[in-house]
Amino acid sequence: MSRLNIVVILMVAVLLGTLFSVFTANSESVVFARAFSEPGMEFKISGTLDADFPVVYDPLLDVAETRFHMRDKDGQLQEVLLRKAKPTGLEQSESIDLYGKVVDGEFIATDMLMKCPSKYNEESHSLAEAKTEAG
Amino acid sequence: MDIVYNGEWTWAASLGRLLIALAFAGGLAATIGYTKAVKSEAGEWLALGRWGFRVQAAGILGTSALLYLLIFCHRYEFEYIWKHLNDAMSPGLVLASFWGGQEGGFLLWMTWMFVLAFVFLKRNPGTLESPVMAIHSGILTGITSMLLGLWFGDFQFGLDPFLMLREAPQNAGLPWTFNPDYLTLIPEFADGQGLNPLLQNYWMVIHPPTLFLGFASTLMPFALAVSGLWTQDHRTWMNRAIPWAFFGVAILGAGILMGGAWAYEALSFGGFWAWDPVENSSLVPWLVLVAGAHLLLINQAKPSTAVTATYLMIGLGFLLVVYSTFLTKSGILGDTSVHSFVDSGILPQLLGFLLACCALLSIMMLAPGRDRVFFGALQAALAVGIAVLDPALCSLGLLVVMLLAVLRGHLRHLPRTDQESPLWTREFWMFVGGMLIFSAAVHISFQTSLPVLNHFLAPFSGLFESLYQSTGSSLARKLAAHDLAPGTDFDATYHAIQVPLAFLFISITAFTQFLRYRKNSGRGWAMKLLRSLLVAGVLTLIFTLTYGFAAWEAPRVALMFACLWSAAANADYIVQGLKGRWDHAGASIAHIGFALVIFGSVLSNAKKDIISQNRFGDLAMLNESLSNTEDLLLLEGDTIAMGPYYVRYRERRQEGIHAKFAVDYFETSPADYRKGQVVANEGFLFQANSDHSAAPAFTADLEKGLWTFIPIPNERQRNEAQPWSAGKPGEFAFTLEPRIQLNEQMGNAPEPDTKRFWNKDLYTHIKWGRVSDPDADENGWMEGRKHDLMRRDSLVIGRSILALDSISAVTLEEKPAYGLLDKDLAVAAHFRLTGNGPDTNFTALYIVRDTLLIPDMVTLEDRGVKVRIDGFRPGEATFETVIWENLSIRRDFIVMQAAVFPQINLLWLGCLIMTGGALMAVRQRRKTQRRGPSKQAAA
Repeated sequence: MSRLNIVVILMVAVLLGTLFSVFTANSESVVFARAFSEPGMEFKISGTLDADFPVVYDPLLDVAETRFHMRDKDGQLQEVLLRKAKPTGLEQSESIDLYGKVVDGEFIATDMLMKCPSKYNEESHSLAEAKTEAG
Repeated sequence: MDIVYNGEWTWAASLGRLLIALAFAGGLAATIGYTKAVKSEAGEWLALGRWGFRVQAAGILGTSALLYLLIFCHRYEFEYIWKHLNDAMSPGLVLASFWGGQEGGFLLWMTWMFVLAFVFLKRNPGTLESPVMAIHSGILTGITSMLLGLWFGDFQFGLDPFLMLREAPQNAGLPWTFNPDYLTLIPEFADGQGLNPLLQNYWMVIHPPTLFLGFASTLMPFALAVSGLWTQDHRTWMNRAIPWAFFGVAILGAGILMGGAWAYEALSFGGFWAWDPVENSSLVPWLVLVAGAHLLLINQAKPSTAVTATYLMIGLGFLLVVYSTFLTKSGILGDTSVHSFVDSGILPQLLGFLLACCALLSIMMLAPGRDRVFFGALQAALAVGIAVLDPALCSLGLLVVMLLAVLRGHLRHLPRTDQESPLWTREFWMFVGGMLIFSAAVHISFQTSLPVLNHFLAPFSGLFESLYQSTGSSLARKLAAHDLAPGTDFDATYHAIQVPLAFLFISITAFTQFLRYRKNSGRGWAMKLLRSLLVAGVLTLIFTLTYGFAAWEAPRVALMFACLWSAAANADYIVQGLKGRWDHAGASIAHIGFALVIFGSVLSNAKKDIISQNRFGDLAMLNESLSNTEDLLLLEGDTIAMGPYYVRYRERRQEGIHAKFAVDYFETSPADYRKGQVVANEGFLFQANSDHSAAPAFTADLEKGLWTFIPIPNERQRNEAQPWSAGKPGEFAFTLEPRIQLNEQMGNAPEPDTKRFWNKDLYTHIKWGRVSDPDADENGWMEGRKHDLMRRDSLVIGRSILALDSISAVTLEEKPAYGLLDKDLAVAAHFRLTGNGPDTNFTALYIVRDTLLIPDMVTLEDRGVKVRIDGFRPGEATFETVIWENLSIRRDFIVMQAAVFPQINLLWLGCLIMTGGALMAVRQRRKTQRRGPSKQAAA
């Protein structure tokens, strides 16, 4: 067996090991009910912003306090507190991942990720106004 | 009956479509002609191929020229131009609007491919002409089909760059599309939408052309590799491919880093690399191409070494570019990326093209004859299965069959050498390095491709579910859920694997050049490394101490050491090994550049210092909750210490599509204290013994006897005491203007502003700011804000402080003075307004008459404040107060983040050096190649 083959086999073995670790390491997201059943535990919760409620952010009172309502995968609505400045584009976000825990009956997130409309794509352009004017 | 539309360039649409059709037909002819010419001696087929190629080239270049003509003439009746251009865009951006969308992207990509093909044909291609050009034309025909814009029922075949707005699906059938004068009647056609403002940046002018040239340059090595398999000559193509491969390495590398520079400069990701799928999918082909190019070098020195790996790497370089096009344009990434991607409607076509390219390579790696026919038929059957049966299952099957074909080709057909290389040879370590780089690419690609993997997992969901039920394995449960996504923690998701891999392959670049090809390099070579090891060790020590690396950061420090060692050793090699022959130094220089890129990115990211922690402004000290935040609140006119500076938010102004926030930076100079002055430090009061300038730390001054502790301060001392601070605002240093882009299409977006120093960058962006004044009524009163106030609470109102001094119940005797009835219940809140004018005392009342609340509004017109008490909670002695502020006293404020990136310039310098070095190597290779054939002829 040549040395090159040994290198290749070692490489494949190491890669398989790391790829396997990907499955076990990736954090999974839960719903609010789970987080509230285990207060004090860190969780990731995925959901969407509920635009019927306002996003409350008053930097003069606290630079790092943003409150908004989020709906989780089960559809449960929950007011959450994010200990960060209001992220740009929160209102436009399509989905949200919150990282945090329940403290004193409130879900407090220390970090958040959003999915926003991409800068790499245009929206669909339709001449809706033109329709009415010339019609 | 056809309508004749007035003023519309209908002819241009027809001409454009004709040109694309011509290019498509020419491409088909070229593919057939060149393919036949490989085996046939007759010159007719070659002539057909050449003429087909010319027609194809003329078609595509003509299409590009026509699209530019329409852009320069601002023909907004065309959807593509209306979407990506408007009259306000600068000339550079008008150029860039060409590649604002996918159609233009394909055109740009193909234009570069033709330029490279012309270069190839000019350089005496010999017998390689027919096979290479057959592959080239075939691939280009496939890409041209993406522009055909044909519809078969609901199935879209290609995007038409010359589609008119009135023909666009979303407008089809609307009444105005039948009006011959619609262009003049409808105001929307006077101007276009314009490029997305986020893309309106000078990087948009240079980054896409560079990147697409890099993408295009992966095709020529691919075409050469496939023609090597076709003609069963595994040697000639490799020699030819070396300069092409390294050209691709240089240009694609530069293009990727330009993207990073753009993200760093104009987008508020907070850095230059965010492991985003868009970035990753261009990095992966580059890494694979680097591995492939080095395998070519090995084969040149020692023929028939790792032939399969060489074919795979060079082939994958191009296939991964196509895959990245598929990933980013098909919408499949939708679920996992920070960006969402919209399906452009040609997903099946892109997938078909990608699979066809993969199939071509895998089949060609088999022995000609039965094997190719068998595997070809199997793959064709599975391809049909994708279309009509189960797409996920059949795609998976197709991939497995392709892998089997490659494996069979490797075991049964492709040449191998029996001569094993000794351990300490250059080719062995280059091979190891190449495999490590490939591993890095596989890992990144795997993370990026998880959404694709989910599609493959879906059919097996039930299987995994039952596995989970029986074994309780959490892995089985995750696989059953098939919603895998890359983790969000970059350290765990990427760095944990990438840092060790990079450490290994960068270390290999440090010593491999000192090794000889084919023969063991004796004992002396290791001694040559001592100098560079010493230099790297000392430099690593200096950097580790300067930037304070902790023990847990050992992997990072090790990687930084490897980078420094590689840079030093390669520089040393130019002196020791090459004796200063600069024309041969391209490879060493490129290695130095690459090491600097990695060093700069590791150091600047690891030691990124956010200096904008929230400290209190001179007026905002009333905020009770001290939160550990990274963002700084800056009121207009306040001067606040931030890191080594004092900053002052001067003004907001609007310039074009930007709201700019001017923030002045001042040096910090030592604070001066007079004799007798009283300061507070950590809750204790001190009095100055003499006039002095402050040392950086209070304890130092205390030990010098400059301060005396006041054990029992009197009233005056308590009131006078200011917090001790080592510094005060000194000389004005510079102004930074982070901005918010006013973007109606995508929502307002912050853009950073950066101050560059030779050894660091100060990078700032707005986290929150108003782009216009808040709403107010006709008298300038803004919406009231509710506060719960207790005695001794205070608030910042404009430049003043409003304090609730005391609370009292209104006695019977006082009631007439307030105009109250005897039966009224009333509580009085005594307020004091201080600062920005004379101290003013006033009283607001909470009045209840027969269970009815009587509102009592107190207005201080000249101070711009109105106060009303809406409720009183006796238990907590708390007033529910509403306070209105007038615009005239309002102070604007921003929330800002500022970070220092140390040594980030090494990264950009490294990028230039790497590109330059790789291009030098290309030039040198070309020279030796030109000499090569004559030498071979003589031998």
